[in-house]
Amino acid sequence: MTRTGESRIIEAAEGISVMEAVRDAGIDELLALCGGCCSCATCHVYVMEAFEDRLPALSDDENDLLDSSDHRNARSRLACQLMVNADMNGLALTIAPED
Amino acid sequence: MATMPEHVPEKVSRARAPRPDHIPERYVHEIDMYALEGIEQGYHEAWKNIPKSDMPDLIWTPFTGGHWIATNGDTVREVYSDPARFSSEVIFLPKEAGEKYEMVPTRMDPPEHTPYRKALDKGLSLAQIRKVESKVREIAIDLIESFLSRGECDFSAEYANVFPVRVFMALADLPESDVPTLSRYAKMMTRPEGNTPEEMAAHLAEGNRGFFAYVEPIIQARRGKESDDLITVMVNAEINGERISHDKALGLISLLLLGGLDTVVNFLSFMMIHLAQNPGVVEELRADPLKLKRSAEEMFRRFPVVSEARMVARDQEFHGIELKRGDMILLPTVLHGLDEQQNEDPWRINLERRGISHSTFGGGPHRCAGLHLARMEVIITLEEWLKRIPNFTMKPGARPIYHSGIVAAVDNVPLIWSGR
Repeated sequence: MTRTGESRIIEAAEGISVMEAVRDAGIDELLALCGGCCSCATCHVYVMEAFEDRLPALSDDENDLLDSSDHRNARSRLACQLMVNADMNGLALTIAPED
Repeated sequence: MATMPEHVPEKVSRARAPRPDHIPERYVHEIDMYALEGIEQGYHEAWKNIPKSDMPDLIWTPFTGGHWIATNGDTVREVYSDPARFSSEVIFLPKEAGEKYEMVPTRMDPPEHTPYRKALDKGLSLAQIRKVESKVREIAIDLIESFLSRGECDFSAEYANVFPVRVFMALADLPESDVPTLSRYAKMMTRPEGNTPEEMAAHLAEGNRGFFAYVEPIIQARRGKESDDLITVMVNAEINGERISHDKALGLISLLLLGGLDTVVNFLSFMMIHLAQNPGVVEELRADPLKLKRSAEEMFRRFPVVSEARMVARDQEFHGIELKRGDMILLPTVLHGLDEQQNEDPWRINLERRGISHSTFGGGPHRCAGLHLARMEVIITLEEWLKRIPNFTMKPGARPIYHSGIVAAVDNVPLIWSGR
């Protein structure tokens, strides 16, 4: 779900990050400025609740960066830290507002 | 000195530490971080000159008090990321100088470090930094327009040394007239003068004292006040439920000045020298505004400027090498971003690069707190410069002068351009 409320369905290859999949689908509002170094917090997304258990735990870096957003909530993740795998089939994301 | 040959290059007069017993001869390479061999050709080039074949992950140099050097990206990252094995108790070299360094919280390890870091992050978060974007842009535009019609400038003196500093002084609500003094203190700390660890320690200590004396009255004046400038926010921050102590505030505010005054300054000059010689990259940046925004990370990877250290926290074996508590390990971030194993064809700016790998902002709990500000400064510089000066080159005969140290520097970067 984009910031304008548009829903898009994306096919993602295993082994790339969710951030890359979204960016490669041409959704430019996910700025992802650092390209996946986990250093910019501009690929902030909200993850559908049902998927929380299937995602990797937050690293310290990711946690600190999310803290730097005014829009963090319990479902916040950085899309660059979520590697696409079979478990994620059907994962729904909403792009967080820009800080 | 009696055993030295007579036709000594300057380097030989620099003090050497004796090799400790636990360090085998085969790890010894004579590398002086403050006077790199081949520095005339460039800072990154000089670091990458160290021999590659069969290089162990750590080597040891007798210069600068004697210390280890991490030689590749994986090792730089591993040391940064594990404060339990590699402490921040001392982070500047020579160690004698590092012990005089009193900035806060760079010499703390977790958990002591954590609440101070939270205070810093609060002032420098992405959300906070976005609020000052238009101000930062205005400063960039003013500067560029001041020399635009002249068709040339010394980028180092007229932009790189001014822009991040002006931005920082505005964020901290400090007068610009104080910049030369503060820049001098910063240089004393990141490239201290002297040929022996003791001389360098004295020089660093003087720079540190300079910062503390400067911020002392400013902290007094802003305690308990309401304002959204960085200093006021920080001096009224709470640490474990209490207002930050005066001593710690001295170190914290001084660190802000040190971090804001010497890093982006030098990075920008390195980046611009490269762009002036690579019009194809400039063309690519100009063609796509989003690509330009996303290029900052590749620039950070390609032009790291910081080499600080960690102290071995306990006796241990690391990658087959025996380390003793107190040993120092220098982490040249240039040896990560330009590591061929981490980034293919590392000398090339590749705006399509996937999986960019670097430690330009350090790593672990001390990763640069100012990284959002730095990224914004780089993007705004590229945007506003290329909008006004799309075609530029180095002035013929230009000879930039490079310096190595905790933070690398470059002076004398004359650029020329003709009308749009």
